[in-house]
Amino acid sequence: MRIPRMLIAPILGTFMVTACGAPASSPSADPTAPSERASAAPTASTGTEGGTLVVAISSDPGHLNPAITTSGGTHTASELLYNGLVGLDDALNPVPELAESWEISDDGRTYTFTLRDDVVWHDGEAFTSEDVKFSFEEVLLQFHARTRASMSSSLESIEAPDETTVVFNFAEPYGPLLLQLDVTEAPIVAKHIYEGTDPVEAPANLEPVGTGPFKFVSYTPESEIRFAANDDYFRGRPAIDEVVQRIFPDSGSAVIALETGDVHWLWGVPGPDQERLQADDSIEFLRTNRNPGGANCIMTVGFNLENPILADVDVRTAIAHALDRQAFLERVLFNEGRVAEAPISSGIGWAHAEGLSLPAFDTNASATLLDGAGWIAGSDGTRTAQGVEGVEDGTPLAINFLHFPTFSRYGELLRTQLGEVGIDVELVPLEPPVFAETVFTDRDFDTNIVSYCNGTDPEIGVRRMYDSAQIGPVPFSNAAAYSNPDVDALFTQAVQTIDLEERGELYRQIQEIVAEDLPYFWLVETEATRAYRSNCSGFIAYAQFAEAASCATE
Amino acid sequence: MSFRYVRRRLLQVIPSVVGILLVGFLLIELAPGDPVLALAGESGDEAFYADVRARFGLDRPVAERFATYATNVLRGDLGISYVQGRPVVDIIGERIWPTLLLTGVALVLSTVVGIALGAFAATRRRTATDVGIQIATLTIDAAPIFWVGQLAILAFALYLGVLPVQGMSSAVEPDGVLAGILDLGRHLLLPAAVLAIGQIAVVARMARIGFIEELSQDYVRTARAKGLAEHRVVLGHAMRRAVIPVATVIGGRLGHLVSGAVIVEIIFGWPGLGRMLVIAMQTRDMPIIMGMFLVVSFSVIIANFITDLSYGWLDPRIAYR
Repeated sequence: MRIPRMLIAPILGTFMVTACGAPASSPSADPTAPSERASAAPTASTGTEGGTLVVAISSDPGHLNPAITTSGGTHTASELLYNGLVGLDDALNPVPELAESWEISDDGRTYTFTLRDDVVWHDGEAFTSEDVKFSFEEVLLQFHARTRASMSSSLESIEAPDETTVVFNFAEPYGPLLLQLDVTEAPIVAKHIYEGTDPVEAPANLEPVGTGPFKFVSYTPESEIRFAANDDYFRGRPAIDEVVQRIFPDSGSAVIALETGDVHWLWGVPGPDQERLQADDSIEFLRTNRNPGGANCIMTVGFNLENPILADVDVRTAIAHALDRQAFLERVLFNEGRVAEAPISSGIGWAHAEGLSLPAFDTNASATLLDGAGWIAGSDGTRTAQGVEGVEDGTPLAINFLHFPTFSRYGELLRTQLGEVGIDVELVPLEPPVFAETVFTDRDFDTNIVSYCNGTDPEIGVRRMYDSAQIGPVPFSNAAAYSNPDVDALFTQAVQTIDLEERGELYRQIQEIVAEDLPYFWLVETEATRAYRSNCSGFIAYAQFAEAASCATE
Repeated sequence: MSFRYVRRRLLQVIPSVVGILLVGFLLIELAPGDPVLALAGESGDEAFYADVRARFGLDRPVAERFATYATNVLRGDLGISYVQGRPVVDIIGERIWPTLLLTGVALVLSTVVGIALGAFAATRRRTATDVGIQIATLTIDAAPIFWVGQLAILAFALYLGVLPVQGMSSAVEPDGVLAGILDLGRHLLLPAAVLAIGQIAVVARMARIGFIEELSQDYVRTARAKGLAEHRVVLGHAMRRAVIPVATVIGGRLGHLVSGAVIVEIIFGWPGLGRMLVIAMQTRDMPIIMGMFLVVSFSVIIANFITDLSYGWLDPRIAYR
């Protein structure tokens, strides 16, 4: 799959496949500190420098050019090789990376970046502003689906007046830019490598040249990718000499390899295996809501508002009341995540609305609402329509629920819980490409579940769910077919506002409206657990994760 | 076996290949799921989809695309992967050798061990040994391969720690050619054994029946009457005809050489074609799926051809005209 950036899907998926036992009790990693660094920079006491770090990845990336794809597989395997203009720290604050500083004009339409002058590509060529201009114009805005979708309509031009200056000019004020420039959203590739080639078919995609902490050494398809420390890295040579990313298609085998010490770092651990690993002193964990394929994902139930049953907000609210989201967290996610408290993820702190009241788990309230909406329970508990607008009297209250096969445990639990209040649910598992076509092109569904990743800015991954302009065949856009002119206007205003606090207030207003309208119901925020051998330290959970890592001999 | 027979059989391959091309293309065409949506992932816009469609020629009518594809295949060009942006011939070429190595070793292993077990059981018919072998092979045949694979990993890699969990080579490259071959052998042992084990059961059962049948024939009684040692009777006289049913079974499986190892490849992270095919199906990477379809179909045709020819060699009374 261009594991269609449901990066969360492969990770969750493997968990689900193996997760057929009883619910496990809570893993011990502290959920209140989702993305804390494992430890700060490596200290002298961590032992010998150098050595080889073996990393397990779940699938062959196909190629190693993160600028032409949003695929989680490619990004996982290649982000060590590259850099973005700016990085994002754990709290999603922009921090200098290839750009050492930036200025935003008062009207919010012009961003001027000053680049570092000490960066060289892995082949020895100097990195300049021309590389940035080329990367955006010829590669990112053409082929990186998220960057293209979010930026291309508002960006007017990119200028490179001198070697260390890049200027982005927008037609309107543009707020989110700094949150869209990290190595996941906008990796910078070399102009001298890609100029005159078709970036999608360029040979360099298999022999990449980047600026990142590690250099490419070799790529054996379906087997492994080898990297060596970049001696000339602008933030200093990494402590580790060599990184080997090995492909472990089976997550169970990857866990065993971590236990035996053949592998030092796993991107995800199946829920059922976590408890066992917790007991192992030689393994440490790192929780995060950021992944190379997308950040801040919320498992979201979508209602088809064009369906006469679901067009009634009381029915949607009744469904929300009937869902025990804590049970989803415990039984499906093995506590890897948290119950969603707002339409925007808590991972985007400044935009996440605190204290919003979403419908709580209350089957009585649910039943009362359904009665009031004209769905009357018969003696056997099934509900039928009596005087519901657009629905023939006597129609049973039955809806279908479309999901990826990997999300089948969500479906099973939802079906059980809605059955309690007399709603009959038919589960329809569909492979991702078929799901996308059925839901977004054909619009042939009642309800569904999607892992909507909010990204690092609501403009990247939230707007598409609610914007009435995004109803249509684009996958993972506005599945509900929700249309509210006030919300559309607020999103436009938010993107044109530069001040983060003001933007946050606009997003709060949006969340208050959609929490009332309930075109979706937000179940759980998912997190991933990285696991690594405890003789290693200094990792971060995302991007160039091993840049500051080191391993002592075991 | 005459030259005319071989030529006629080879000519029959041509309509088969054309049929395979057409059926394969239409099957994939009719399957739901749009490769462009899969490629775009979670975001994109309509203009982006149109660009991608045009890039891969997906905006052309089906008939035109089939004609183009068929012409290219005749030239040895299987197209460009939608996801990887590289020629399918290269992609399959890189991954076919590990698969052939794995399945080839498993085939040899299962044939030798299976025939030996079958002969052993047949010559001890209705003894405890015979019944024991039969029960054991039936049990193994019934065990799902992914379960056997996981058990093997747990036993040999995690608890005994003698064999690697995954892959075809160690993360730290061994020094020297000999060390490299030994390293490969260590990695090959578990997956090849797990892949062979189900096959061994089938081959052993077929061989047992074959030997029992042959050992009751007149020519065997004659050989025994001549005073030949029993092992020469069994191996020298009865074996060639006894393994004809085995050849049929193996021939049927030969075609699966390329595709049959999918599960084993995934469990053991073996860098072959199986895993690639699964991913290509999920992303609707049609050129790769079609390429695999052709490779597998073609190997089935060739395998059947070789099996037919082998009958004549195993039993000269069988002649083709």
